[in-house]
Amino acid sequence: MKIQSFYLNHPNTLRDHLAKSYRIEPPQAAPGQNTPPLVSPKGQLFAEHENLFTFDGECFRETLPNPEPFALFGVQSCDLTAISYQDQFFANDPYYQARRQQALLIGIDCLSPCQHGFCPSVNAGPGVKHETADLILHQLSTTSWLLLACNQKGLGALEGLSLNPANQPELNDRDDRIASCIEQFSDDSHLKQGITAINQNQVPEDLWQQLGLQCLSCSGCTSLCPTCSCYGTWEQQESNGDIRRQRFWDSCLYESFQREASQHNPTEKAGERVKRFWTHKFGDNFAKEFGRYGCVGCGRCEVTCPGVIGVHSVMKRISSDAQLDN
Amino acid sequence: MHNSITNHQTFYNLTPTAMELVDFIDDGEDARHFRFRLITPQSINTPKPGQFFMLSVPGAGEAPFTFTAKPNNQGVFRALIRKMGDVTTALFQCQSGAILGIRGPFGKGWPIASLSDKKIIMVAGGCGLAPLTGLIDQLIAERHHKHLALVYGARNRALQMLNPERLRWQREISLFDVLEDTGETVTSSKNHVLEGTPLDAMDSVLRTLDWTPDMLLLCGPEVMMKAVAKNFLQRGLPAQSIWLSIERRMHCAVGLCGHCYLSEHHLAHHYVCKDGPTYRWDYLQPPEKTE
Amino acid sequence: MATKVTTTICPFCGVGCGMNLLTEKNRLISVEPQIDHPISRGQLCAKGWSSAYGIDPKDRITHPLIRTPQGFRQTSWNKALETVAARLKQIMEETGPQAIGIISSARATNEDNYAAQKLARAVLKTNNIDHCARICHSPTVAGLNQTLGSGAMTNSAEDIFETDLVLVFGADPTENHSILGGHIIRAHLEGTQLIVVDPRRTRLAKLADTHLQLKPGSNIALLNAIIKIILDNRWQDKKFLDQRCEGLAQLTASVANALEGVEKTTGISLPKIEAVAKAYSQSKRAMILYGMGVTQYVSGTNNVIALSNLALTCGQLGRKGTGINPLRGQNNVQGACDMGCLPNVYPGYQKVDNPEVRAKFSQHWKTEVPEHPGLTSMGMTKATLAGEFRGLILFGENPVVTDPDQNLVKRALGKLDLLVVAELTMTDTARMADIILPAASFAEKTGTFTNCERRVQHVQQALPPLGEARTDWQWLAAIAQQLESDQLDWPDSEAVFREITELTPIYSAMNYAKMDQLHGLQWPCSPETPEGTAILHKDTFPIGKARLIPVHPIPIDENIDSKYPLLLTTNRLHFHYGCGSMTRKSPLLEREIPTGLLFINPADANELGVTHQSAVGVGSRRGYIETRAMLTDDLPPGLVCMPYHFHEAPSNQLTNTAQDPLTKMPELKACAVFVQPLEPGSFPRPIDEISGLSVEGVK
Repeated sequence: MKIQSFYLNHPNTLRDHLAKSYRIEPPQAAPGQNTPPLVSPKGQLFAEHENLFTFDGECFRETLPNPEPFALFGVQSCDLTAISYQDQFFANDPYYQARRQQALLIGIDCLSPCQHGFCPSVNAGPGVKHETADLILHQLSTTSWLLLACNQKGLGALEGLSLNPANQPELNDRDDRIASCIEQFSDDSHLKQGITAINQNQVPEDLWQQLGLQCLSCSGCTSLCPTCSCYGTWEQQESNGDIRRQRFWDSCLYESFQREASQHNPTEKAGERVKRFWTHKFGDNFAKEFGRYGCVGCGRCEVTCPGVIGVHSVMKRISSDAQLDN
Repeated sequence: MHNSITNHQTFYNLTPTAMELVDFIDDGEDARHFRFRLITPQSINTPKPGQFFMLSVPGAGEAPFTFTAKPNNQGVFRALIRKMGDVTTALFQCQSGAILGIRGPFGKGWPIASLSDKKIIMVAGGCGLAPLTGLIDQLIAERHHKHLALVYGARNRALQMLNPERLRWQREISLFDVLEDTGETVTSSKNHVLEGTPLDAMDSVLRTLDWTPDMLLLCGPEVMMKAVAKNFLQRGLPAQSIWLSIERRMHCAVGLCGHCYLSEHHLAHHYVCKDGPTYRWDYLQPPEKTE
Repeated sequence: MATKVTTTICPFCGVGCGMNLLTEKNRLISVEPQIDHPISRGQLCAKGWSSAYGIDPKDRITHPLIRTPQGFRQTSWNKALETVAARLKQIMEETGPQAIGIISSARATNEDNYAAQKLARAVLKTNNIDHCARICHSPTVAGLNQTLGSGAMTNSAEDIFETDLVLVFGADPTENHSILGGHIIRAHLEGTQLIVVDPRRTRLAKLADTHLQLKPGSNIALLNAIIKIILDNRWQDKKFLDQRCEGLAQLTASVANALEGVEKTTGISLPKIEAVAKAYSQSKRAMILYGMGVTQYVSGTNNVIALSNLALTCGQLGRKGTGINPLRGQNNVQGACDMGCLPNVYPGYQKVDNPEVRAKFSQHWKTEVPEHPGLTSMGMTKATLAGEFRGLILFGENPVVTDPDQNLVKRALGKLDLLVVAELTMTDTARMADIILPAASFAEKTGTFTNCERRVQHVQQALPPLGEARTDWQWLAAIAQQLESDQLDWPDSEAVFREITELTPIYSAMNYAKMDQLHGLQWPCSPETPEGTAILHKDTFPIGKARLIPVHPIPIDENIDSKYPLLLTTNRLHFHYGCGSMTRKSPLLEREIPTGLLFINPADANELGVTHQSAVGVGSRRGYIETRAMLTDDLPPGLVCMPYHFHEAPSNQLTNTAQDPLTKMPELKACAVFVQPLEPGSFPRPIDEISGLSVEGVK
């Protein structure tokens, strides 16, 4: 479908309209422009705690979630890119897909860089990519917005809302504004150098171990990372005696993540776990499989890491280390 | 673009199928050879040797184990299980008739096709013999290979497993028992008994054989497998002729939960549940450095 | 179903990180950090991230329970309260109020703690009120009160970013106060000098510029030597000493011989000590952060005084980026102390033995109050064993696991005529109770917590109390009512807080609204300092001039000998908290428990024939437990270490009960033990299986 574009006086008009058919997430707040929320919408699709099945003593019964239709309203490009990444990763996961098919994605263009963000460096923003959203909001002025419908689902959601089609000059303005936003991002050479160093195996084991010493295994980075998807499982007894298996967000930075029942632990050293995390985010082999890096440049890990090994800190250490070597 | 959840055919099944614990025999210290029966006989695909299944003990959890014998017409199959963690501890408390769960088979099995006409040496340590059991039985039955020797390492006699199977095999293949602690004098079995680790014993094993192996299959502790593999590389066996079966913690077995990653080198991107558990040695090595 | 977001404060350690609770259909589904919180700034530790598991309805106590010969039976609140009141009255009539006491909780709110001490003093007429500060920071309160006139952290968390040198003394902040530990890492990476003094090679010790790996129990020897070197080199802050301190002459005299034998006593070379002395004294701004490696010794109070002497000598106090800063263990241990849940002080550290203070409270409460200071928790234990103490109300604490010498505690609790325990889940202590009351969790109540930097923060209710659970001050009030007293009849928690501000000068200008607006208020917050106080002692000390008090090394109470040849110390793990009653409900944190809980140097292990992760027995003069060994270079040869969180292998079976004479703080940081390997391949037995075996029987 060709993208269709309209004028909109304010996002709230759209929001109120959608609220008739969708649960709106987040429920309150006007869409925050230019800074993604600290917590991404990941949990709306890959739930932090998801029931997998119940066992009644004889049979195992799959328990798929059955959410009402919901709209993720005002999602920044980094998070939408992450959702499209997870759409691939969880393509065959029935629980994810049961939630995903009920979701309407309303993106919002970022027009100035956020504190730790670097979406242009990893091709994840700041403008919303049409294939990652159903609808896109773009602010033209305090009283005027562009609304783009990227697909039939998005267009269908607008039914009943009277909108005027937008003109080409404003659409060009959108492109210009996004281009000018990209230029405002700060220097990302440490990221580029770091990515190269990781893929060419130029990061000395010693440096990984030093970084590992700073990892407190808090699980903050993996909780906030919009593409992290590791999970564990546990079983609990329900009040009627049935057994319920649940999966929950896990973190590959925990010492016990790979520890086996025999106590054998292939990644006993913190440095190996930290290395794994960053290889997963920036490894070329992952990029080959998913068409992009696992990192979407939101910078949340930089904020939430108590040990100062978020993405910028790590990449600066790696790139300065590599320069010392050269 | 949005598939309806109900008619999507390729969804992973994270919900087990019911099976019943038939019975078991004690086999080695803290290990049992179990028989299980699928409640619905054809409810899982036929496993290939080296593939594994996820065993659910309701209330305790799920963990991967290998088939030592694939399901027969009645859906009865066998698995050797050692008591180690929460799942196996709970399993060992189950009585005959207990309802358990199974998912699978998962993973890639041993490279059966490339074993034809080969002079095969298998090296197993402890419960690492279990994933080779079905393969040995199939090889003996089909006889496409030229020679077959099994070197089986264990800490001591009490910890050796699959005793009936090894007794059965000793008429068909060359068997070497390697014990770290040989204890009292060796009984008059047809097995060769050597002292130390499989690596320690390798010179003597190879002297005893009147043929030179051109295929090495490994299963056991990673340190042992890697040491033996490197030893054979030094002896001139090409990396493409060495296969190993790797163990990892798993929660899904379909490449989702992330626990079983293998990071053998900086570019590695493997989940043992999907890409393994059997790997050819060279697949685990880093590519030539590009600089 | 849309998600509701409630802002509150993390319920674990004393850092007091900002946390949002996400609820759906009255169920806590997730937690998230607050990006605008002044301390945590968008971060949480592993415990914080997992806190939703801790209050999961699973395993929660939801109704009052009463002990019967057949075990606990569910009962009504009325029945439970009637029973409690009747037995309390009986004990009071037969033995008097001195036979009754309350142990309140450093995890409960200020409002709860205030209510507990008021119930004790105004209704039960006893000063027998205490809480667990006894086993973490009572020496801090006692020591700093003598030297500075106030027992709290002098500076603020943010000062870590505004100092030139951080001296971490006997503390493991990355594990126990992870977010502050992270601040230290960040400051250090940005150029702040980091010195760590610890017998163990902690994470920060590995990152630090200097690690002084001193022998356990040699704190005072080291500190006196540092002071001596500073004075000898004239590195002291002469102006500060002249204008703001007294006692320099005595201190100078007392450290005259401090360098003699100090290398042997501490295990640290003199040049290394000199370098630290120079760095600390010559830094423009240097900040001391310390923990239980200072307080949990028989010399605890004196250790604190020695640290204070050092800070005063160098004038590293009263300015941004300086100070002497105890890292409080529990989320509200500062608040529990502030609220007067101590046998010798009323709220705001107003002394019980001061008649004017007693008169003030008596007038405000319109009732008589008891005259004599009461019993400490350890005192209550001993009095019980002596038959002089009979009834105890206890909440949010698990002394059976966390107190030293558990066997003694267990015997005492078993001997009580009345033990009332209010708890979230069935703990080892609750199991011994006559009546168990269902308590509301932090997510189910409104109130305030005071963090280690004296910041009083608002905790908001995200969920209704589970089942029939009640907030602590509410059931305390219900007990008062049963005793025909309306002393605790407040309409809501804000009313409790108002009464606190009326009687507690350091809280006098606080209210909930201002707290919300400013992300908490640091005391003192009075009409003169309406927005609180970030740095104490800027111009003067509460006692006028600070006191330099000579202290001399006191050896650890129980040294090694041929039968008990290793020294045992205790630690805590990032993933667990206290007795683990909340953290161990998380499948993630539970999985993180190391397989070995006895940390031992490979050389010692080798000599004993102990291998990595193998089962070992550990025994002291007081008890014997079994666990697995974890071989690590983080401990020097001769020293072994155990975390205390795990009831299967409780280190407090082993630890010494010898006490700091002033505060009765037990010496948890050092005792003599033997370690022996168990049969190869065998499993360590939990303590329940072992008990019954005598110590002699296994050796």
